[in-house]
Amino acid sequence: MLKKFLAGVALAGGLVGGAMASDSPYLTGREQLLMLADDNPAELTLWRGEELFHEVRGPKNVSLERCDFGLGPGVLKGAYVRMPRWFEDAGKVMDLESRIIHCMKTLQGFTDEDDPVARKHSSDTREADLVAIYTYVASQSNGMKWNPPMNHPMERLTRNAGEVLFHRRAGSMDFACATCHSTPRKRIRLSFLPVASNVEEWSKAVSWPAYRIGHGVVRTSQHRVRGCYYQMRQAGIQFGSDASIAIISYWTHQAQGGVATLPDLKR
Amino acid sequence: MNKQNNIVGHTLIAIGMALVSVTLMAGCAQPRPDTQAERDFSRLSPEAYAEYLIFRSGSFNLAQETQEGGTAADRMAQDVLQRMCSEARNRPQPEMAVRIVGAARDSIVYPEGGIQLGDWRQGAELARSGTGFRIGHNVDDHSRPVGGNCYACHQLDPDELGFGNLGPSLAAYGALRGDSEAVRRFVYDMIYNPHSYFPCTQMPRFGVSQFLNQESISHIMAYLLDPQSPVNVRHSR
Repeated sequence: MLKKFLAGVALAGGLVGGAMASDSPYLTGREQLLMLADDNPAELTLWRGEELFHEVRGPKNVSLERCDFGLGPGVLKGAYVRMPRWFEDAGKVMDLESRIIHCMKTLQGFTDEDDPVARKHSSDTREADLVAIYTYVASQSNGMKWNPPMNHPMERLTRNAGEVLFHRRAGSMDFACATCHSTPRKRIRLSFLPVASNVEEWSKAVSWPAYRIGHGVVRTSQHRVRGCYYQMRQAGIQFGSDASIAIISYWTHQAQGGVATLPDLKR
Repeated sequence: MNKQNNIVGHTLIAIGMALVSVTLMAGCAQPRPDTQAERDFSRLSPEAYAEYLIFRSGSFNLAQETQEGGTAADRMAQDVLQRMCSEARNRPQPEMAVRIVGAARDSIVYPEGGIQLGDWRQGAELARSGTGFRIGHNVDDHSRPVGGNCYACHQLDPDELGFGNLGPSLAAYGALRGDSEAVRRFVYDMIYNPHSYFPCTQMPRFGVSQFLNQESISHIMAYLLDPQSPVNVRHSR
């Protein structure tokens, strides 16, 4: 009986997401979500992002087609699963969201005050251009394995500091990221929590962008980091800050070898 | 011997951190470089770089005012317990565990007139509410009561299905244990500072941090221990 059920889950998982059979409640919960939805609504965001990416925009009247995401100008295939990474031209370790903004400013001439750069997150009434472009670029790594480079000393220091931050307890509730993401099969209320040491769970968990059913919009890595610091009652983290990139660098490296689902569908 | 080594070790670390701070502060006196490449981070340990990221890189909105009357920077500074448990990855060695338990016991302040149970109905609301002390992009309004958010991690009322399991089930807690002075004191201690029994537990120190005031603690205790509370009422022995 149980075997039949598991086989059913495996079959459904295989059909829908290409996922393998798992006894992880975090992963099987997600398969149930996918069975409920005919399609991932994030695809609409992806298509809009594709148009925006190729559209001639900004004061300099160019598209983002010459943006270098680490594998050379214009190379999108597999770029996202090799991020965050060191960018010599910026002299910084950058995640995908910061890199898109970098290209919007340097290639297209947008400033911090212009809406495409200023609007970081979507609301019920307005989808951020940045989120759409991020979704499109990320989707070009769908099904590939997370594999952020660790060659540059700053890539390693950023990842290692991210690990320290991940375990660093502080704030009114003594919480750290690790509080919720260390013990297998645990829940906050009804939500199963992914564990950072389980590659199968974690590679899915860090698969942002994802359409969040509870929010009704597509969310990003930076949005997830902000939400975690908010719920931990710690200080508000700044979008694209070095600390945010350190956390994302550590969590991406923890997913190394696991398959990215881009865009994902989450609760 | 071990303890002495520990003290020496900690002193060396402290000196190291002080040197790092001096170096970084000296760096700040000059015009602030824009990129990581222009700063020399190569000698920093991950721990020192993480502290730099929190307090000096502009990564957090540290100046924001908090509900308790300080700034977000105070929230990010670790106290001794937070630092020890973080470094031990929440698995303290026996000596450290004993020290943590001792300090936690000393931290507990009992209400005048003994530990009294409040109103379980108000306790039920507080156990469900996750409002309080959040800052950042959407600051919690403390004209509303601050909740303990117990259901995020614990089962309490057996009829409430939306409970987490990071902590143990507390269903029928009072029905199973009674309401003796010893039980009351244990429950109070666990809410006020749970490290007094479980060093480096994940549970917040609701009393130490003044996240919950004495009145709220008494209501939540009533929810756990009052025989009329839904946590206990349907439990038949």
